[in-house]
Amino acid sequence: MAEGVVIDTSFWGARAEGVAALERELARLRRVQSAHARELVRPIARASVLNLIVYADREEHARRAARSIADLALRHPSRAIVVLADRRGREAAEKRIEMHCQLPIPDGARQVCYEQILVRASGDVDDRLASAVIPLLVPDLPVFLWWTGTPPLGSRSFADLLRLTDRLIVDSADFARPELTLPIIARISEDARGRFGLTDLNWTRLTPWRQIATSFFDVPAWRAFLDGITGLRVGFAVDADGRDIHPSQALLFVGWLASRLGWRPLETLAPSEAGGLLFAIARRDGARIMVRVRPRFERGLDEGDISGIRVQATAAREQAEFVVKRQPSPRHQTATVVLNRERRWERTMPLPSPAIVELIGEELSILGSDRTYEEALDALVELA
Amino acid sequence: MWRSFAEHLHFVATADDAGYEELRRTLDQLDFALGTHANRLFYLATPPAAYEAIVKAIGEHRLRGETGWARIVVEKPFGHDRSSALELNEVVHTVFREDEVFRIDHYLGKETVQNILVMRFSNGIFEPIWNRQYVDHVQITVAETIGVEERAGYYEQAGAMRDIVQNHLLQLLALVSMEPPAAFDDKAVRDEKVKVLRALRRMTGEDLAMNAVRGQYTRGFIEGVPVPGYREEPGVAPDSRTETYVALKVWVDNWRWEGIPFYVRTGKRLPKHSTEIAIQFRVAPHQLFSREALAGLEPNALVLRIQPDEGISLRFGAKVPVQGIRIRAVNMDFDYGASFMVDAPDAYETLILDALRGDATLFTRHDEVDQQWTFVDPIISGWAQSPQGLALYEAGTWGPTEADALIERDGRKWRKA
Repeated sequence: MAEGVVIDTSFWGARAEGVAALERELARLRRVQSAHARELVRPIARASVLNLIVYADREEHARRAARSIADLALRHPSRAIVVLADRRGREAAEKRIEMHCQLPIPDGARQVCYEQILVRASGDVDDRLASAVIPLLVPDLPVFLWWTGTPPLGSRSFADLLRLTDRLIVDSADFARPELTLPIIARISEDARGRFGLTDLNWTRLTPWRQIATSFFDVPAWRAFLDGITGLRVGFAVDADGRDIHPSQALLFVGWLASRLGWRPLETLAPSEAGGLLFAIARRDGARIMVRVRPRFERGLDEGDISGIRVQATAAREQAEFVVKRQPSPRHQTATVVLNRERRWERTMPLPSPAIVELIGEELSILGSDRTYEEALDALVELA
Repeated sequence: MWRSFAEHLHFVATADDAGYEELRRTLDQLDFALGTHANRLFYLATPPAAYEAIVKAIGEHRLRGETGWARIVVEKPFGHDRSSALELNEVVHTVFREDEVFRIDHYLGKETVQNILVMRFSNGIFEPIWNRQYVDHVQITVAETIGVEERAGYYEQAGAMRDIVQNHLLQLLALVSMEPPAAFDDKAVRDEKVKVLRALRRMTGEDLAMNAVRGQYTRGFIEGVPVPGYREEPGVAPDSRTETYVALKVWVDNWRWEGIPFYVRTGKRLPKHSTEIAIQFRVAPHQLFSREALAGLEPNALVLRIQPDEGISLRFGAKVPVQGIRIRAVNMDFDYGASFMVDAPDAYETLILDALRGDATLFTRHDEVDQQWTFVDPIISGWAQSPQGLALYEAGTWGPTEADALIERDGRKWRKA
């Protein structure tokens, strides 16, 4: 163990020497649970529907992920292997196990056990990390790899783990410099085709925005404006001093519209405000569209979250603006349609802000790739 | 209990004929003192090279008692090819009748291996689908994480083919593919095993080149720890061509299995210690659901886990609890430890007790051994003629890429064991 780093065994469980010892300990714990359940005449299920590998390089991220998985145990009972690769400290790859058994139904009618394993690695173990994880996987079950932080292209352990993976989950909200990292994700996505699925939690967060944006054009009278878009503004939240700039979510939204509507990049221009982005884009018919991605300080929003969108369009000499604004408290959004400068329609609807655990829960129910996401990502990389 | 048992343990060292005489005297004294009627079980836990001399000595020094029964337990491998096995058999038969010979293959003593027969033949639902109509293919994996350890002297001569395939692997194959025996006794069960072993298609020529892969591990990592390559192990020749990995596509040419491949593999320094048999069934004949819905579906598979984590699981598709239809393969699991709450006896405990009782059901009969060598010999000699065909694989990986190609050619893939 790295000096000065103490593993909290009450959280992560007792230490096991090697995979065989770890499996023995899990079997023992299962047996104890079974015996206990029999006494109480309650059925117990050793339920596992997937392997989930979580990679984290900080203990607090590992813990947060572990808590999320615990919250998901009923919906996605899994064997969770939390890989905590701390690059400080000396070389070691240690495994600690803990088995959690929840009684989420108050009358205790049902118990579901899931298994949580911590693989803690210290030092430079890039060449051997996967060899400690592979034997821990439950045979035959799909493998999800949740990579917290920026995926390191060119790292052997990342490549080795990807070879086992059916679905890679990343969160571009954590990417420090998305303009550099998103193209990396696009490369991974390209390599992944046919081998494993790829998703981004920031893409999952976009779902309500995509829903409302498409719903405008479900109205037959407004359908024509979709081909006549002249401008797009997407705002994203930053903190008061504007230090942390996370435009990934907003960029994905732009990429999504561009891929759906067949837009092509023309040029990247200098934005008028710090942290913003300005693109000139060609519509399918060749007309020029200006796309602005702007940082906004909004109290109560998470950094990087889209704060609002504004689509300007013309059709048959009519001018329209489709506006969605996020309201922080309580969380809801207002959608407005302005035709020829006259407000014609307005609705207010709840806009949930799902926690990581809900986003992960959603992504774990999907296997295979998401074509719409891949196309949005490709379009975005071409733009940026 | 141990104390009273230990009081009856005696040690006699034999370096020469005098030692065997002393052994006989000790046995006679014990018979007299304890009234054991000269019931004797000889267990040869020695290198195979010593078998012949020991058996001869047992005969010459009249170590079989006058009155009781005498049995001999011989460890695998029995011979190093078919002709040496026949020779050894003749030597053993000069002293012991075939029904007194217990050729031990400890895999057969494992609870989960015995359970293959129980599962197949005590249940009504499995046997009707246990055939070419419903089965797509079968995979048998015997994976070890250990390297050659201290056995280099033996292993250099044996290789994975003689060490694992000839005995453990073919026994598992026989148990999973045999016809139902008429009775659960040593004769009926072993008759059926011999029948199916006889139906194995011999691998030669083109078939051998296409459907047999041998590999040898190079240095790598096991559970995060660096390990040396096979040729760097103590006692191994630096240019050794001994195989530490074997993958075969095997055909069982009989009515039940015509056209159904059995993919078998074994290796040392694989990422995980695991022995299992997976019966993969055909996919549903007509798919109602969309391509997206089916993304998580895998064909049905029944997996018999021999070790570790002994149990059985059945994989099938289930609806993921979200709106709309998404299908995911899930496992219905039976876990030995959690269901029966007792530790299964060690395989050797089971087998030694069986030998003491005279029940040979779980031991290999001479004609089984003969058939096993008959299958293995042509592969070994074919390989000897083309020494360049040895593929290298990094320790801690699932074997050489050639083994992946062997199964992927058929549009299938090795299971994630």
